[in-house]
Parts: sequence; structure tokens; C-alpha cells
Amino acid sequence: MINAVLVFNNSGQPRLTKFYTQLDTSVQQRLISEIFTLVSHRPNSACNFLPLPPLLASSSKSPTPSQPHNDTPSLITYRHYATLYFILISTSTESPLALLDLIQVFVEALDRLFENVCELDLIFNFETLHAVLGEMVVGGVVVETGLDKVVEGVRGQGKVLKRPTGDGRGGGLGSGFAGFRAVGDGVWSGR
Amino acid sequence: MRYAFSTGLPLLYQISKGFTVTAQSSQNILIMFEKSLYDLIRGLRNHKGNEREYIHNSLRECRTEIKGSDMDVKATALLKLVYLEMFGHDMSWASFHVLEVMSSPKYLQKRVGYLGAVQSFRPDTEVLMLATNLLKKDITSPLLPTMSLPMVTIPHIITPSLALSLLSDLLPRTSHSHPTIRKKTIAALYRLALVYPETLRHAWPKIKDLLMDEHEDPSVTAAVINIVCELGWRRPRDFLSLAPRLFDLLVDGGNNWMAIKIIKLFATLTPLEPRLMKKLLPPLSTLIRTTPAMSLLYECINGIVQGGILEGTNGAREGEEIASLCVDKLRGMVIVEGDPNLKYVALLAFNKIVISHPHLVSMHQDVILSCIDDPDISIRLQALDLGASMVNRGILNSVVDRLMRQLSNAPVLTSADLAEIERKRFQGVEPAADSDDEDPAESLRQPDKRADSVPSLPDEYRVTVIRHILGMCSRDTYANITDFDWYIDVLVRLVRLVPSFTEFPEAQPGVNWENRSAELTSADVSSAIGSELRNVAVRVRTVRAEAVGAADSLIAISGREQLFPRTGNGGQGVLPFAAWIVGEYADSLPDRHNTLTSLLHHSVFSSSSETICAYLQAVPKVFASIAARDDESWGTERQSLTSLLLARIAHLYESLTRHPNLEVQERSVEFLELMRVAAEAVASHAEVNNAGPLLLTRALPSLFTGMELNPVAPSAQRKVPLPDGLNLDEPFNHDLAKVLQRANEELVPDPEYAEAERVYHQRPTPKLEIGPAREMIKPANQTGFSYQHNAEEALADVRLAARQRAERNKDDPFYIAHEDTSSGTSTPFHDILKSSNGEVVDIDSIPIMNLDLGDRNPMDDELEKETPKGKHKRVRHFQIATDENIDVEDSAKESTSATANRTIIDSMLPQRSNAKRSLLEVDSSGLVSFSLEDENESITDRRLKSETRKAEEEEMERALKEVERVRLEMQRASERVAVEDGTPLDGTVVKKKKKKKKLPGTATAPQIGVPSGDKRTSGTGSTEAGFVVKAKKKKKVQKPEV
Repeated sequence: MINAVLVFNNSGQPRLTKFYTQLDTSVQQRLISEIFTLVSHRPNSACNFLPLPPLLASSSKSPTPSQPHNDTPSLITYRHYATLYFILISTSTESPLALLDLIQVFVEALDRLFENVCELDLIFNFETLHAVLGEMVVGGVVVETGLDKVVEGVRGQGKVLKRPTGDGRGGGLGSGFAGFRAVGDGVWSGR
Repeated sequence: MRYAFSTGLPLLYQISKGFTVTAQSSQNILIMFEKSLYDLIRGLRNHKGNEREYIHNSLRECRTEIKGSDMDVKATALLKLVYLEMFGHDMSWASFHVLEVMSSPKYLQKRVGYLGAVQSFRPDTEVLMLATNLLKKDITSPLLPTMSLPMVTIPHIITPSLALSLLSDLLPRTSHSHPTIRKKTIAALYRLALVYPETLRHAWPKIKDLLMDEHEDPSVTAAVINIVCELGWRRPRDFLSLAPRLFDLLVDGGNNWMAIKIIKLFATLTPLEPRLMKKLLPPLSTLIRTTPAMSLLYECINGIVQGGILEGTNGAREGEEIASLCVDKLRGMVIVEGDPNLKYVALLAFNKIVISHPHLVSMHQDVILSCIDDPDISIRLQALDLGASMVNRGILNSVVDRLMRQLSNAPVLTSADLAEIERKRFQGVEPAADSDDEDPAESLRQPDKRADSVPSLPDEYRVTVIRHILGMCSRDTYANITDFDWYIDVLVRLVRLVPSFTEFPEAQPGVNWENRSAELTSADVSSAIGSELRNVAVRVRTVRAEAVGAADSLIAISGREQLFPRTGNGGQGVLPFAAWIVGEYADSLPDRHNTLTSLLHHSVFSSSSETICAYLQAVPKVFASIAARDDESWGTERQSLTSLLLARIAHLYESLTRHPNLEVQERSVEFLELMRVAAEAVASHAEVNNAGPLLLTRALPSLFTGMELNPVAPSAQRKVPLPDGLNLDEPFNHDLAKVLQRANEELVPDPEYAEAERVYHQRPTPKLEIGPAREMIKPANQTGFSYQHNAEEALADVRLAARQRAERNKDDPFYIAHEDTSSGTSTPFHDILKSSNGEVVDIDSIPIMNLDLGDRNPMDDELEKETPKGKHKRVRHFQIATDENIDVEDSAKESTSATANRTIIDSMLPQRSNAKRSLLEVDSSGLVSFSLEDENESITDRRLKSETRKAEEEEMERALKEVERVRLEMQRASERVAVEDGTPLDGTVVKKKKKKKKLPGTATAPQIGVPSGDKRTSGTGSTEAGFVVKAKKKKKVQKPEV
């Protein structure tokens, strides 16, 4: 199952935090900053899997392949889009490559809803961000991976607002959907 | 207020402000709170530099706003709080207000409330009890979005008691007409089950129905599969019956997400049902060959590996086929695609395959080893693991050299980098204003393209690499090493590469433990290197001289700067081991005086106490070795040299007697006395036959020489047979209880007790009368003996004591008799074993690895003759001492005790993992003991688990019928009651209460563990059961009438 979903920007400012277990706010913050430290030092050519940060690694040190399934979070997957990092912390029951696709679906859904989404949209509409996630993952279990259904579900909850016009400096840079897909996507198409 | 953003924003901003002020009770709540959140965010962006103060003020505002009566303001304040909570500002104090907003009739406000609950409720949030009714109400809401809210929220806040009360409301939602609700309900039910396993008793049939229904919405089926997969690994046996349906879904599902999960589930099922493997193999290999989706391909391979299909089909033709197909595909993932993610997961899979099929993996050694130099550290680490597990004699040198190069070439983190890391690590993130160099309006569509830089290796990675090098080399007692000179060289070079551990300054007190753990790993790894060096010195006699030389070079003060240049103290953990080596094998030292000088260098004060202890022990050994030299005659020159050395040693030791560490103190005091006695002996020594004082030439060395030290297996101690007549269970003192009691009673201060009290409780008056040893011996001098005589007598005393000790310890198998300087076979240990055990234990047949060179076979001797020792160009034959052990005859008993031991450890393991739960972990261990199969399963039934599947299913069917029958019975009865009471048959909730009231009255009330609230979808009951119910119902209905 998925243990946490995090979104933060290039300087570590959180934009979305969702923990599927109840954690102290201070512990949450420490975890975020540990993961940010890890992720911000990775070159773009690096793979999208993170080693466990100290907070998580200390308790699950033994990488025993004899116990494939386990409740401990053992997998941290991330993707980097423009100014934002999207991070999924999950147990080994999830497939690493499928999780990467899941992040992609998440971002694509946001892009549909906000029409050429950017960080500002997410800052001002973080409630919508939560709503999108709520359509896809409930209690750490993935319930929907279809882009259309996710978007439909969020729209069913009410009108999705854009950020105030004129805010920021110009709209999105990508002009078509072709420019959207992240590096390496298309190599596997899990959906 | 000023507005940093001039592009038309202020106007809009003011409009929004206007709304807030004038239209306080605006109907359009949307605009309302949205703008207010804008306010906050906008304000943050405008208060660059003093965000902290701004946030503080905002929080205070929120505090007052949320306490107001206006729901709009309340919701807005809550939304702002939730936003700030994301940055670490606690809002647990607002939990009651969260509840208030949750109960708002307006959906958008309600949504804010639920979001607040998700983000801020913690296990200790007390208002949760109050939320129960609200949640119940919203679950049954007619509005779809409202109904979704509790579904999404419940998993975050669920507790066993909440689960108990919500279960009956959630269950009917599994058959809701809208697929989204069905999906979310079962996800919520899954989380309910984790805290309250009983949930499954009622929820599982419904989940199963959803799964089995072929006309179900595909997205619901996929979600169900996700949940089944999560449940599956806990109790795989219960899910075997689902295999046919899962198989169909895998083959015809057409949904890759779902297929991945099904394969994952099958991987846990196949070990239980070997027949599944044969069935799965064709579709899986088809998928592997044909699928364009890499994630599915990878999971197919992973499933085959994890499901044990490779082992299961080993030997069979298709087994070999599938194995090589998998490995080939993985190889393709590593090289062809050039995608780091694929490379990483492929290596992960290789790491799993290598356990069962090392030969297959080692065929792809080339690609795997190339990954060791990959720019990505995660990939490197995987390749490192893999490399370490497949390394062999042939490639060890090249792999290790490659890693060494990597370590020495990688750029070191500059202090600026470190400062940056420090800042990020220890400073909590504040919602700062956006810096100018990044553009938050940048579209996320653009994949990020930052410049790649050469990664500087983090210390953790360096430590891991060093560990792997040591592990690879020492595997199976150095089975892979062909050249020990090379290995010693590697070890010495590794010392320089150990990362330092003080570059992180001791920062804030709260985070010290992090630093400490980093320190520990560094210190650990350097002592691991030291331990390896010691191992080589002890085990491989052929290269002992080289090992001692290496240790000497590590100790050498002259090379200190060069040896630990940048690492500072990173490699210092090696020093205790090096000191031990130079002390123990002092005779092999190239220049003992030089070594002694290094050991006595004042820099020792700054070392760790562990190092000082080792040094304290090594110094007398080296000195003894110098003093015992026979090659040089005892003359004035040597006498003065020796006394000079003794004075230096005494000087150092004296200053160490006040060291804060107790161990250091004790050792230095002990040796200091010895050195003083030795100095006396030297000073008073009259030259006789060019021989030195016996204390120095004989007694002192004999303290440190004895039997050769050999490696002993850790289990050897356990295997020492008990001598006859030793009963370990018999207490020493039968009257112990009485003694203790008396001790308790006699609290009356007797003289002895008073003495003890004085020692322990009174502050001693400082008495500094420690003088040189000479003064201490004075009384003896007064008797008129000469110094010479006195020394002799002292020596005689030493000898006498030694003899007495030897006598005393004669029977002690663990005492190493020091008279017996050869490592011969007839030690007291052997003698006692021989005599006490007779022929039962033939000790001489125990293969004790004798390190004497003469023991080697003639071939080696010839080799040795041919190659002049020291200048070895040829590959030398190294003899490696293995661990000594005792092979007791009854090995059967041994093995059983070993397995018993292991089982004990095994039984402890899960406990340990439970005790040390990871942060984010959701504990699902409650599910382990919960069976999905039999609803009425009793404890005795559970013992008959080994019954056939069929019987179980029959029983379940029967049980289901029974439940159905009872349910119908109850329903009819309640209907009857309702009619009698004259209340209309509308509300289900009312009905439930009635039932509860009436049931005790009915004598034949069924005792079934189904809560009365469990409303099954009716119409599924078979007609047969219905008839039975009718017949029974009449009987029952009569009773209330009576």
C-alpha cells in the first residue's frame, strides 16, 4: 500500500502532504526535509527510486529478500516536474514502475483540471490537489488509475478554479500535450 | 500593504478584500474562502524575510476567527490552518473546530472540515468520539460528493471502537449504485479491517461478490484486486479459492495495472499451491514475450522469481526456458533501454534471482559490473550487492580495484556543500516567499532539465562500499583471495578512504543522534578494517610479517599526517587493532624502537580511550620484546637505553593514570607499577655474564608469550564437554535464602558493617602519598638485603606466584599455561579432555589447524625453497587458519540444539520487528490470526485445519445458509413485531433497535455472531432456506404472543 504522498518544490516547500498513517506534525516535517535532502542531490539522469531516509531506514534495516511482503515502507518513488517533486512512499506490495505511472496520471489529471498546470495553481488550490488525490488513492489503496474517471470525479465535487488571471509571469510554457510527458515515459506504458 | 506583483493583481486582490469585509455573510462561500486563502499566501509572498512573524500573526488571527460563530469565517480559518499545518504548524488544538466545520450543511465547508480531520487528527485526538454520529450521517447522505467525504477520511482516523460503530453503515455502501462509492467503500473497509479484524467477517463476502461479479465496473474490480492483494500476503491460503477468477482476470483483464497486482498476488499463492505454477507459466511467458509495457514485463519476471516458480520448475525444460527468458529480458532492460529506472529494477530482480540461479546471473557479469560505475548511486548500490554476491576468485581483484578507484577518485564534498546540507537538514522548512530565480508559473509539462554534475559520493555510500569490499574478500574465510599481499595493501589503502565523521559540527541538541549514527558507522567500518587486518595477521602466518609491517605503518607517527590526510579521524578505529598486532607480533617488527616511539607519542592523549587501552597493552609487549633480545650482550649502553625507555614509558603512563576512562586508568596503574619494578631491576642490576636482569629478559616476556593464539569458532565454547562431577544446576550455597534473610535482618551496625559504611558513604579525605616505587619498597631495604637480592627475591616471588597460579589453573581448560611456549598438542586442555573422556572423545582427531610451517605438505616446502622468502614474485600458496572447534561425537545432538537455537531466534524475530515498527508503517498483523474462510469457526475447528479444502467449503456453505436462515428469521420476527406495535415498516435504524429489544424475549433466539445491524442484500437466500425459515418463524412468533 501507499504510505504517504508528498509534493514539494525545488526549495523543499511542501505543496501537498498526505500521510496514510497518523504522524506527529514535527515528525512529518522531519521526514519531508530528509527526503528533500535526498532527492535534491540527485542528478536528473539518476533513477527515480530513493534510498530510505534515516528516519525510515533505522527501523527497517534488514533488506531480506526472503520476506518480500511486509508492512514497512520500503520504496520511495519520485518524479520531478519543472519546479515540483512528486513523491510516493510505499510498501513492497506496490510495483515501482507502476507507481511512476501513477504519479504521471496524477500530474496529467491536474493538468487537465487546471489546463496547463503550474506550481501556482497547486499553491492556491491545494484543496483541489487533495481532492484529486482522494479520487485516486483512498487509505493508501489505489482505487482509480483512469485519467478520465479521476477528472470526472473531481469535477463532480464542484467547479475547479484557476489561479487568478494575470498572476505569475505568463502561462504554461508547454503548448501541447505532446510536450507534457516526462523523461523516459513511453518506454513503459503501464496503463 | 504593498503588492509585489504589479501585473494586474492588486485590483483583483482588492476586490477580494472587499468581499471579505463587506460581504461577510456572502452566499458565495467559494469566492469567500478562496480569497482569504489567497490573502494568506499572498501575504507570505509579500513578507519575504520575516515570514515567521507573519505566520505567527496569521495563526493568531485564525485562532480568533475559528472561534467565531460564522461558519464561513470558521471554514476559511480552518483552511488557512490546514495550509499552515503543511509547513509544520501544529493545529491539534483546533480539533473541535474541525468537527464543527465538518458538520456544516454546505458541501464545500464540509469538505474543508474533512480535510482538516485528515490532516490534523492524531491517535490521541479526543473529539473523535463525537465524530461518530456525524460520520454515520454523512455515509448515508443522499448526495454523492458528501458520501465520498467520510469514505476518504475514515482510513486516516479509524480506531477499533470507531470501526465497530461504523461498520454497519459502511457495509451497505458496497452495493451502492455508483462505482466510485463502491470502490471507496471497500478501500475504507480494508483500513477498518486493519484495526478491527472482525470487519472482514462481514465485509469479505461482499468484497468477494464484487470480485466475482463479471459485470462489475472494471475500475471497481481493479480496486478490489488492489485490496485483495494487500490482504493476500497475510493469509495467502484463504485466497487460493479465488485463483480461477484471478486467472481469468489476468488473461482477459486487459488492464495492466490490475495484471501487475494479480501477478503480485499469485507470487504469494504459488508457494502454497504448486499446481498453480504450471497453469501460470504459459500466460506469464506470453506476457513477457509480447507486452510492450515495461512495468508489466518487470512484474511478470518479479512474480516468477518471488513466487518460487523458478525453483519450482527447476530441472524441467520449460523451467530452464523461462529462467533464461527472464534473465535475457532483464539484461535487455539494463543495456538496451538506457533508462536508469529500468536498470535499477532489473538489478533488483537480478539480486533476487542470484540466490537461486547464480550461474544464470553470472553469465551477465559484464553488464552488472558496468553498473558499479554508474553515475547513479542507487544503481551502484544495487550492482554492488549483486557483485558482492556473485564475486569469485577470478574477478575479485578487478572488482575490488574498481571500487577502490571509484572511492579515491570521487570528489569530496566541499565544506560549502556540507553547510548547505546542514542548513537543509536541520532547519525546518518555513513557507518562505518564492525566490526570484524560480518560476512557480512554469508549466509542469516541461520535464526538468537541470545540468548534470558529477555526483560526489555521500559518506554512507563510501562506508557501504568499504563494507562490501571487506565482505567480498573475507567470504568463506578468504576463499576468494589469491594474493594476501594485495589484500593487506587494500586494507591499508582503505583506511585512508574511510570517511571522516567530525565534519558535521555538533549542531542543535535535538538532532545529535543523527550525527552520532553517522559517526558510529564510520568508526565501525574502520574497526572492521582493523579487525580484518588482525584476522589476516593471525590466520595467515605466511604474510604475518607483512601484516605486522602494515600495522606498524598505521601506527607510525611519522606517517600519521599522510595516512589520515583529509579524513582526520575517520580511520582511527583501525588503531586499536594495529596496536594489538604490533604488540602481539612484536618480534616481527622491522624496527621495534621506532614503533615504541610511535606508541609513546603524546598524540595518544587525543585518541579514544579504546585506542589508549590497546596502546597501553602494546607498549609493554614491544618493550618486553626489546628487552628480551639475546643477540646483544647486556652492557652499560644497553642498560642506560633500557632505563631511558622505561622512564619514557613510566612518564606516559603516569599521566594516563588520571585519565577519565576507568579502563585506561586501571591498565596504566597496573603497568606503571610493573615498569617501576623493572626500572628498579635495571638500576640495581649488577652485570653478571653479560646477562640482563632476569625480570626483564625472562619474567616480563613470559607475561606475554604463551601458546600461539588461534582463531576459535564462536560456537566452540558451547561444545566444551562438561567434566565429570560438575553439576551446574546445584547451588553453591544451599542456605542462600537464609543468608540473604540474615543479611536483611542484621541491619544493626556491627563493626564490619560500620567499616563498610564508612568506605561507601563517607567522603574520603584526599590522601596523595603516591611516591615512586622505590619508596614503597623501602621497608624491605631496611632488613639489610641488597638491592640485587631484593630484586631476585621479587623475581622469585613472581615465579612462585606463577607456579602457584599454574598449579591452581592446571585443571582449568581455559587457562593458557605460559610455561608451555610451543603450540604443541599436549596442553592441559587436551590432557583433561583425554583423561576425563577416555576414548569417547578422540581429541587428537580434531583437525586443529596448526600454523607451524613444518606442518605443511612437502609440496609447499619445495615451493618455499624455490622462492626466496620475502621477495616473492610468484603466487604464493597461502594457508589460512580456519576457526578451531570441537567436534563432539554426538553431532546429531549438536545439530538439534543448533536448530533449536535457530528456532528460538526465529520465534524472537517477529517480536522484534513488532517492537521496532517503522514510522509510516500500517500494522496489519492483526489480520494474520483472522481467517476469512469459516465464519463460525471455533477454536477446536481451527485445530482441524488440515482437512481438505472441499470439506471446508462445504462447511462454509452450510454456515452461510445458517446465517442466511437466521437473518431471515430475525427479519420476519422484527416485521411481525413492527406490525404488532403498529409502527410503519420504513426506517431501518428503528428496526434494528426493535430487534435488539425483542430478541432476548425469544427463547430460541439464535446465538450467532452477526450483529443485528448487518443488513445483507436480501434476495440471495435460497428458496429452500426460505421454507425452513417460514416453518420456524411461526413457532417463534407465537412466543411473544404468549
